[in-house]
Amino acid sequence: MSGPRASRGMAGASRAGRYARRVLAVLIGAAFVFPFYWTVVISLGRPGEFSSFPPVLLPHWDWSNWSRAWHSAPWLRLFGNTVLIASCTVVLCLVTSLLAGFAFGVLRFPGRKFLSLVVLSVLMMPGTVLIIPDYVLANDLHLLNTYWIQIIPWGASVFGIFLVRQFFLTMPAEILDAAALDGASRLRFLRSIGIPMVRPALVIIAINVFLGSWNSFLWPVIMTNTNMESGDTVQPIEVGLSTFASAEGTDFPGLAAAVTFTTLPVMIFFLLLQRQFIRGALSAAGGVRG
Amino acid sequence: MTIATEASQAAAAPARPQRRGPARDFRATRWGWAYSAPAVLVFLAFVIVPTGYTFYVSLWKWNALNPALSKFKGLGNYQRLWDATQPTFLSSLWHSLYFTGAMVIGGTAISLALALLLQRGGALLNGTRVAVFLPHATPVIATSMIWTWIFNYKFGLADWALHSLHLPTSQWLQSSSSAMPAVVIYSLWHEVGFTTVVFLGGLAMLSDELSEAARVDGCSAWQEFWHVTWQQLKPVTVFVVAITAITSLQAFTQFYQLANGGPAYATTTLSYLVYEEAFVFSDTGYGAALAVVLFAVTVFFTLVRRRTASGDSHALV
Amino acid sequence: MRKRISAAAGLAALALTATACAGGGTSTPKSDAAAGAKSTGGTGTGTGTGTGTELAVPTGPVTITFEEAMTIGTLKPAMDKLVADFQAKYPNITVKLQGEPDYATMYTKEKAEVQAGNAPTIGQAYESWASYFQSSGVLAPISELAGTDTPPQLSTFYKGIQDDTKLPDGKTWMWPFNKSVLILFYNADLMAKDGQSEPKTWDDYASVMKAVSKDGVTGSTIDPGSATAAAFGTQWFEILAKANGAALYDKDGTPHLNDPNVVKALQYMKDLKDANALATGKNYPGETALGAQKGMFDISSAAGYGFENKTVGGKFKLGITALPAGPAGAVNELTGTNIVVFKSASADQKAAAWAFLKFITSPEEQAGWAATSGYLPVTSQALDQPALKDFIAKNPYETAAVSELDTAFALPGFSWIFKCQGYEATAIQEALENGKQPADALGTAQSACAAAKAQG
Repeated sequence: MSGPRASRGMAGASRAGRYARRVLAVLIGAAFVFPFYWTVVISLGRPGEFSSFPPVLLPHWDWSNWSRAWHSAPWLRLFGNTVLIASCTVVLCLVTSLLAGFAFGVLRFPGRKFLSLVVLSVLMMPGTVLIIPDYVLANDLHLLNTYWIQIIPWGASVFGIFLVRQFFLTMPAEILDAAALDGASRLRFLRSIGIPMVRPALVIIAINVFLGSWNSFLWPVIMTNTNMESGDTVQPIEVGLSTFASAEGTDFPGLAAAVTFTTLPVMIFFLLLQRQFIRGALSAAGGVRG
Repeated sequence: MTIATEASQAAAAPARPQRRGPARDFRATRWGWAYSAPAVLVFLAFVIVPTGYTFYVSLWKWNALNPALSKFKGLGNYQRLWDATQPTFLSSLWHSLYFTGAMVIGGTAISLALALLLQRGGALLNGTRVAVFLPHATPVIATSMIWTWIFNYKFGLADWALHSLHLPTSQWLQSSSSAMPAVVIYSLWHEVGFTTVVFLGGLAMLSDELSEAARVDGCSAWQEFWHVTWQQLKPVTVFVVAITAITSLQAFTQFYQLANGGPAYATTTLSYLVYEEAFVFSDTGYGAALAVVLFAVTVFFTLVRRRTASGDSHALV
Repeated sequence: MRKRISAAAGLAALALTATACAGGGTSTPKSDAAAGAKSTGGTGTGTGTGTGTELAVPTGPVTITFEEAMTIGTLKPAMDKLVADFQAKYPNITVKLQGEPDYATMYTKEKAEVQAGNAPTIGQAYESWASYFQSSGVLAPISELAGTDTPPQLSTFYKGIQDDTKLPDGKTWMWPFNKSVLILFYNADLMAKDGQSEPKTWDDYASVMKAVSKDGVTGSTIDPGSATAAAFGTQWFEILAKANGAALYDKDGTPHLNDPNVVKALQYMKDLKDANALATGKNYPGETALGAQKGMFDISSAAGYGFENKTVGGKFKLGITALPAGPAGAVNELTGTNIVVFKSASADQKAAAWAFLKFITSPEEQAGWAATSGYLPVTSQALDQPALKDFIAKNPYETAAVSELDTAFALPGFSWIFKCQGYEATAIQEALENGKQPADALGTAQSACAAAKAQG
């Protein structure tokens, strides 16, 4: 039998392979993170240091840029706004994606094809031209300078709908047939079988929509007025970053500091969620096979 | 298989007395559209109606501030597309396709490779996963600013690294030939984190039995990947390719931040040109015509992709 | 009736009608003016020569909105002080600042607001934006506020600033705000070490640039601008061309971009680039290079002094001087924006806005504004104010900079001139990066600009 020998050989190869894989992973990880590291170094550097050559690669632990950046905008308020806007958008998006993905992936109804093409066409329109018509619409609806205008227009995602649809399409026909045989209602099916099955898709959508919401800049700047002092601003955190650039120059170290502390929460968010993501994906895989 | 047969038999069989009517299949319904209505309404208000408006405006020399001053042009704006020299329409189209092609091929290959490298690992690989994802979690507006320092000709980090390794340095964003590659490098750095996570999700759902069977059959790692893993990942790949292609065709912020469409239009894509005409130059009608063309290009590629997808029922887009 | 006219008449003709007819601005009741913004007919209440009566400062409570971009660094406190001082003098008037992060965003937003019928009372605007707003009939001319097209305050401003408040129709549509000119920043230590001195002519400048470009130092790094945004490098090119005696643009906007003197300016830049004495970059590259001790010079706005100083961070002595001169003498170009008044404001708001505009350009306020923000005072009377005297004592370059405000030029105020500046920037890039001959690159720019002018 060649089996045992082969597997021993593989074990030997895989030990070396494991190390190679780890070294490679560390190098790649470092390459991806390096721009952030450098940003942190700049943010902790002395004045004029960001423009030194060769580049300064170790921080000087000068926190003055941080304190200047911290006082330049009501970050906590902006942070709260962002969390509120992003969470509401995620919830709305999950609901609309789940329902529409279910409709397009499972249900059969007249006009399904047409509607899914309509939804698909949404992806193909360049967003930049829509901003001004949307502004006029928002003005007519009295939605300017509100949280709503930052939530509702982003509360449906073509990407999300089609991801959910795809999960439903790859679902074994037996499950659907069995449920149909069982006389399950649509909503019951969706609740007890559908949601658990598409959970990984929902996690991906949640991450993506949350980040999209977190990172949006042009939209809130146009749809809301910058009013950093008055404590009742509805603007998100990214708008705060714009307070470092002007027509006459840019406060690079201040910007670097602000980028660092506005990015940290997202980092933590992903650290927490990525486990859930993998676990969700695994359990769904288990569900498909079982 | 057997369940399906039974189901069809049951459906054919006379109704059981305790149920209302025959075993109704919940999938067939006239009310299906109602499930898609919340999403469709949002799109209708904020995308589809404005898109219709854009089509309309593209037929005018439109004065956005005072529509009464607008002049009907028919297809005049589309005619202007062909006459334009600075930049030509075809060069912008080419830049869009160049960027999209590089992102689709590079992005898919790199994120699949990263996913294979980083799947099923301990804390260390977990850390790398976070590292790779991190750029995607940060705003383009901020990170592209960081990258303009990195790409700084002569004293940026990128040139410094090449110089230290005794490699030829580049002018990066300052030269027409290297500007687009520089934007691609930045965009890959920013985007592959997400597609890697999507691939990781796909890999996590793979059947272990099939891989084991392949190994028992004496397949090499490469054969196993090619015949088993890759085949099962196909729907995920299709998804990644489609989403990357569309987002790349529409990409705008990095072009704006890193290169302003230059130097000498080298990074002026259709999507950037739309912005340039409609926003900067307030040539609303012409910008709208460009937007319609970009829309048509996206639709065209989607159709081509669907046709060539050889009847893959999971095809997403 | 008006609808029918607008359907029949051409765009340009109608814009003329809109400004020439109508009239009677001061008698317009409040509600009527507000409604005027909503109705989209080709109406305009622009008064040709003014009514002779200046709007009186309102006595009741009024709120005006000011869309501005003075949101960072030293600009913000300077802006806040203007508003605080004004509100202290006129307690019944509230000035609401509507800060925008950058000019591109501000322009987009101002356009969106006008379209939605909720324009601010006043807003910052470049000359080309003002031209676009004016041709669409959404601006109120200064004559509607001051009762005359040439209010007495105007004559106290520097000559270059006065000219800059007019659009090509010859009327005053803007009021000056954050104005500046370009000046030359340099590494004084490095210059002393290399045994060079401040260049007085552009020829001197070229020879110093070439002499110091060694050991990893490049004479200067410029941002040539792009098709969508001019930068200091674009303006430097325009200054060089004018210093060579080129017209660049006629008063009616006719471009002369392939004029031999313009080609000479681009050739000058190309020669420096080929001699490795000039490099290009983005995002204030000259400032970065200067700060990194990798560049000798940076041509930048006088208002950028605070940023330059911070970037240098005390690593060496920062020298500042006026721009060198060319065969046609010393030439400089205005930078920064003006303020426009939107037509949709109520009569009270317009009156309050007029009081505000006069107030912030008074010598006392200009002195404080200039000393804090780094922008230049628009009137020479500000120089005698104590606040500015102290500032000039510490920053002698200010004297040289303000002296150029009388002669500094601005490109003619047409909305499409913006496109042409983009073609200039592209020609610079083609010549410097892609090895194109300056005459060819500028020939392309010339025909593209002529086409843009024809498009309107």
